[in-house]
Amino acid sequence: MANLALRDLVKTYDRTEVLHSINLDVQDGEFVVFVGPSGCGKSTTLRMIAGLEEVTSGTVEIGGQVVNNLEPKDRDIAMVFQNYAIYPHMTVRKNIAFGLRTSKMTRAQKEARIEEVAGILGMTEYLDRKPNQLSGGQRQRVAIGRAMVRDPAVFLFDEPLSNLDAQLRTQMRLEIKKLHRRVGSTIVFVTHDQVEAMTMADRIVIMKDGHIQQIGSPAEVYHAPANTFVAQFIGAPSMNLLDGRGTASGVTLWTGAALATGPGAEGKALTIGIRPEDLHVVESGGVLTGIVSVAEPLGSETLVYVDVDGKEIIASASGRTPPVAGDRIALDLDVRNLHVFDAASGEALA
Amino acid sequence: MTADPRAGTVADGPAHALLFLTCRRSQPVADTSQSDDMSPTARTGLSAHWHRLSIRQKQVVWAWAFLAVPIVFYIVVRFYPTGNAFVLSFQEWNLLGSREWVGFENYVDLWNDPVFWIVFVNTFEYLIIGTPISLVISFFVAYHLDKVRFMHGTIRALYFLPFMTSAVAMAWVWRWFYQPVPIGVFNNFLAQFGIPQIEFLQSTSIALPAVLAPAVWAGLGFQVIIFMAGLRAIPPTYYEAARVDGVSNWTMLWEITLPLLKPTIVFLVVFSSIGFLRIFDHVFNMTTNNPGGPLNSTKPLVLMIYETAFGGRSQMGAAAAQTVVLFVILLIVSLVQLRILRDR
Repeated sequence: MANLALRDLVKTYDRTEVLHSINLDVQDGEFVVFVGPSGCGKSTTLRMIAGLEEVTSGTVEIGGQVVNNLEPKDRDIAMVFQNYAIYPHMTVRKNIAFGLRTSKMTRAQKEARIEEVAGILGMTEYLDRKPNQLSGGQRQRVAIGRAMVRDPAVFLFDEPLSNLDAQLRTQMRLEIKKLHRRVGSTIVFVTHDQVEAMTMADRIVIMKDGHIQQIGSPAEVYHAPANTFVAQFIGAPSMNLLDGRGTASGVTLWTGAALATGPGAEGKALTIGIRPEDLHVVESGGVLTGIVSVAEPLGSETLVYVDVDGKEIIASASGRTPPVAGDRIALDLDVRNLHVFDAASGEALA
Repeated sequence: MTADPRAGTVADGPAHALLFLTCRRSQPVADTSQSDDMSPTARTGLSAHWHRLSIRQKQVVWAWAFLAVPIVFYIVVRFYPTGNAFVLSFQEWNLLGSREWVGFENYVDLWNDPVFWIVFVNTFEYLIIGTPISLVISFFVAYHLDKVRFMHGTIRALYFLPFMTSAVAMAWVWRWFYQPVPIGVFNNFLAQFGIPQIEFLQSTSIALPAVLAPAVWAGLGFQVIIFMAGLRAIPPTYYEAARVDGVSNWTMLWEITLPLLKPTIVFLVVFSSIGFLRIFDHVFNMTTNNPGGPLNSTKPLVLMIYETAFGGRSQMGAAAAQTVVLFVILLIVSLVQLRILRDR
């Protein structure tokens, strides 16, 4: 068990800086998810924590100790890889035992530990199989078992679910979360899937181009995004971003509609964010009107793509009596659900 | 013909284009421009036959059409001579006269020939010394070269160069290396340190390894390239996971790299074994004054076959019997290696 701290972490490849001063504190037992588009530096950060990449500058601390120059094996971590990295020529038992190669346990203790881990993961009956006789989810479990068997202070997961099909991914997501509650270790989990991040994390770290965009609980990053990138990255379908301008009493949208969000940004060019589920289809009135270009029925709701003065806006409509393409509809909103960003910097305004 | 724009789109082959054109041509009955000697009804029949075939049947027809060429080639150039050699091994023939049946006499003679047994042992010495040494060296080189980024391509090319070099030229250069002082490079080097001369190609005990060395060296480049391809195919996360688990490089080598390289190793063992069992040009060129000498100590089976067949007395039947023996040896060695190495 240990906490983890990244201080001014920088990574440079051939003079190109790919990570710019990453600062993060992970509490003991916390489940932190790094999320961002590919190339944002999330995997690099994880690999630096693991010791698989050199730290260019800054420090990585595990359990209060700077580990920059320690080999991966001396950092008290375990890592689960995207392709599982389980050895095809070894049985499940041997694969899990590989994690204990350097342990000082006796043979019997090791055997007991392997059985225990296999029991937790429900893999006991598969211990003597080879990986090619296992399903994707079972292989994933072997990889986790290999990491668990060493009882590390910090678990590192590098996109472990991206090779699984959608259904299995949902299932493994739940299992990893349960495992975390049961084992209680610190977990750093990297993914590009915001749904994984939202569902699993205690705290989410959203990254882009080697910078941390926001750190917060799933609710915080969803309801109070720090900038337009986070606003659009978290949540599916994405938040609508509309052009607007600050006035004395609030904002005016590009359509001319005035919204009383309160003073504070008079004369400024603004970006107004509104989530699709906060836009309601109404019979008459409403803030925005437009023509439905596409309707996507999802069962519980129907996503409607509405052309409002040349701008496409996504709204969520009832699943029972949805509008159809070509309908002219009105959309209403509650000003309390608006997110106001500076148009130039993209940063959220308080 | 070429004016038809659709004719140009047929890329499957001339035969296909022909069929396509015939069915195109046969449709317009009023087309009077055609004055080919084939009657329109015959072509209609052919194309009708073709179009009646299912897609699967058409694929089969095409597959056999393409396979026909190599099959004919192999039958004429490989299988017929092979079969002929088997027959010849039970006959006596001097290339010019008529063949005479002698039963197993050629084999019995071979069994009773003391030179054959020397040659037999030599051949296996080439195999048993050459294969492991060349595999260990080439793996060692590939394993380390894989980790080198500096001048990687150049170094790899240097290793590959001998493989592309003519064995004859190489043999003669090495032969020169092996000469006594003041000509030979090796002996000059030894002499500088006051070490006595080594009679590389004149000693019955050293000549065979001396002949083998350039053969090993020549094959190294190929084996290095194949080993490197095998090493590259192992996902780097296997090693990263092992590093996180804290195992030593030695363990990684023995427990991850080598087991995962097994298909590559099997291929190279079989391939290089066949090569060493068939060694000829290095030996022949390095011992030209007395091929296979001194005292038959370097003579491999292929050289013996060559001498029996073309060495003056033209004993084609005896040479064929020796060839059959070589074939059986190659077959047994390859099968045994595959059996041992494949499943375990």
